[in-house]
Amino acid sequence: MSLRETINGTTAGDRVLFIFLLLVSFIGIFFIKEVLPRGNEVVIEVEGRVAYEYPLDSDRTVKVESRYGHLTVEIRKGKVRVVDASCPNKLCEHQGWVSSGAIVCLPNRISILVGSQEKPKDGAVDATAG
Amino acid sequence: MKREFQVQRSKFQVHCLLAALCCILIVSLLSCSFKKDQIYRKTMILMDTLITINVVSDSSDKASKAMDRAFDEIGKLDKLLNFFSSSSELSMINRNAGISAVKVSPETLEVIEDAIFVSEKTGGAFDSTIGPEISLWDFHTRKMPDDKTVKERLPLVDYKLIRIDRNKSTVYLEKKGMLIDLGAIAKGYAADKAVEELKRQGITSGLVSCAGDIRAFGLKPDGKPWKIGIKNPRPANKEDEIMATVGLSDMAISTSGDYERFFISNGRRYHHILDPKTGYSAEGCRSVTVIARYGFQTDAFSTGVFVLGPRKGMELLRQMGFEGVIVDKDGGIETTPGLKGRIEFKGNN
Amino acid sequence: MQQQDKYRIALLSAYALALHGFESLIPMPIPWLRIGLANIITITAFILLGFRAALMVTLVRVVIASIFTGSFLGPGFMLSMGGGLASILAMGAVFYVAPGLFGPVGLSLIGALFHNLSQLFLAYLLFIRKIEPVLFIAPVLIMIGTIAGLVNGLAADLLIKGLKNGGDKIQNTAEWK
Repeated sequence: MSLRETINGTTAGDRVLFIFLLLVSFIGIFFIKEVLPRGNEVVIEVEGRVAYEYPLDSDRTVKVESRYGHLTVEIRKGKVRVVDASCPNKLCEHQGWVSSGAIVCLPNRISILVGSQEKPKDGAVDATAG
Repeated sequence: MKREFQVQRSKFQVHCLLAALCCILIVSLLSCSFKKDQIYRKTMILMDTLITINVVSDSSDKASKAMDRAFDEIGKLDKLLNFFSSSSELSMINRNAGISAVKVSPETLEVIEDAIFVSEKTGGAFDSTIGPEISLWDFHTRKMPDDKTVKERLPLVDYKLIRIDRNKSTVYLEKKGMLIDLGAIAKGYAADKAVEELKRQGITSGLVSCAGDIRAFGLKPDGKPWKIGIKNPRPANKEDEIMATVGLSDMAISTSGDYERFFISNGRRYHHILDPKTGYSAEGCRSVTVIARYGFQTDAFSTGVFVLGPRKGMELLRQMGFEGVIVDKDGGIETTPGLKGRIEFKGNN
Repeated sequence: MQQQDKYRIALLSAYALALHGFESLIPMPIPWLRIGLANIITITAFILLGFRAALMVTLVRVVIASIFTGSFLGPGFMLSMGGGLASILAMGAVFYVAPGLFGPVGLSLIGALFHNLSQLFLAYLLFIRKIEPVLFIAPVLIMIGTIAGLVNGLAADLLIKGLKNGGDKIQNTAEWK
């Protein structure tokens, strides 16, 4: 009773199933990334263009510059804050630690989008007036 | 005989299995490549504020292209209408106040005409020539003008002193020192223009919000209207930020509130919505929300109604056939009859 | 159930336990990754002795192994039990619906697939509570499970044929003991 005989002795169903499962999981590995909403990450946009993208769970400090000014973004323990902004009102600094949503620095034209940019949950609003 | 039958049966089963598995595979592959309608969203800082465009599309390329074109459109308006940029057409008009008429692009002409229209309808409660007064205030540094200056400049605030020549496409301000500030209409107008551009790009459903001035068209992929929150003018905490929600399709909505730019001095709240008749903050309301067909209407009328106060404001909304919500200075909430059942208030409001 | 079958179940359970223990000695790149060698015995029991015997073997193996390792009724036990049960139930169902369609290899693949699916589901319910990482790891787990399932299935096939050929001897031994 050799291995070769055993392999030859498998039914067509066995073989179809094996190839099917391999194929499905193989496709799955490549497609799941596309289908899944992006995980939690920090996207920093300067003047409307994505300038930096970082995972939210990696601690780091980034200095971001635009034509209008600069600010320093600190990512730590899944939260983001602006530590040093060149703008006069420093609204973004006062916002403190943010774990989801956005920090926007209008004078410097820099926006920091925090958390998964997935579709809003049911019950969430699409926009807010006021 | 029996054995043969069994073999045949098992062959039949194999074929069934093969067919079934192939079907599953094809269906799953198709569902991966067959694109469904999705909401695509992009945010940019333009007109000194945060502008978000949502579009429903089956392709991210198409959505992205349409959104970029719409942002270009808004960027164009920003260049024309920016009060603070010395190169804008608006600045040219203001610089030449009392001197000469300025030739402007059709967009600038249109938005100023729109502003005059709203001024007429609100009896001057909305007035884009508020520039000389508003530039006296700085709500960040709590700069307050002295009463004398405020009174001196009041004659410069009058929309009737804007001369428009449609044939020559020129705008002229009759008195020197007059300043047009389109801050209370430009964002709504920009939302209109962005929606027009999106429609030209073949988008059938979307949402443009220029800060709090929002214009919706079409329905979301789930067939529901766009859900818009209305800010609570006095939120007690973070969960309390939205006072009500309303579903909108092919409509615009704006809220003007005394909480946007303000400071409190000697127990009085000084905010950015000035009454053109007095030069000081209008006092009758905490916030006014207007729902109408176009963004320029909701943007400008929410300011005008705010200045008019709850009673006259409600009357104007009724006359214009607009819907709206007025929160008066004591926190009392009144909605237009047409909104009842469509608007959902949160919590104990 | 015949007395003889009970002996066989006991013997097969012992083999399953031994393989289970042996497998935990093999170093793995990721700690929770398992080949599921004990499934060889489950399939063998299923083909030779039927569904109830295979179910017994699985239950005995999971319970006793967890007692040995001190994880009885713990979260690891829940995962193990859920995976084992789902796997044997799926094999039983497939065999009942379409007997003869799959050999030991096919059954092993089905078993591995459902073992993984149920473990992912339980892990989601008990620990992770987030669907994204579970969905993310699922295809990888299913692919590894499929390859391991193939190996196990072939091994089970060899074992079954071996047992059938020299069956008398083993059965006698079992009886004699």
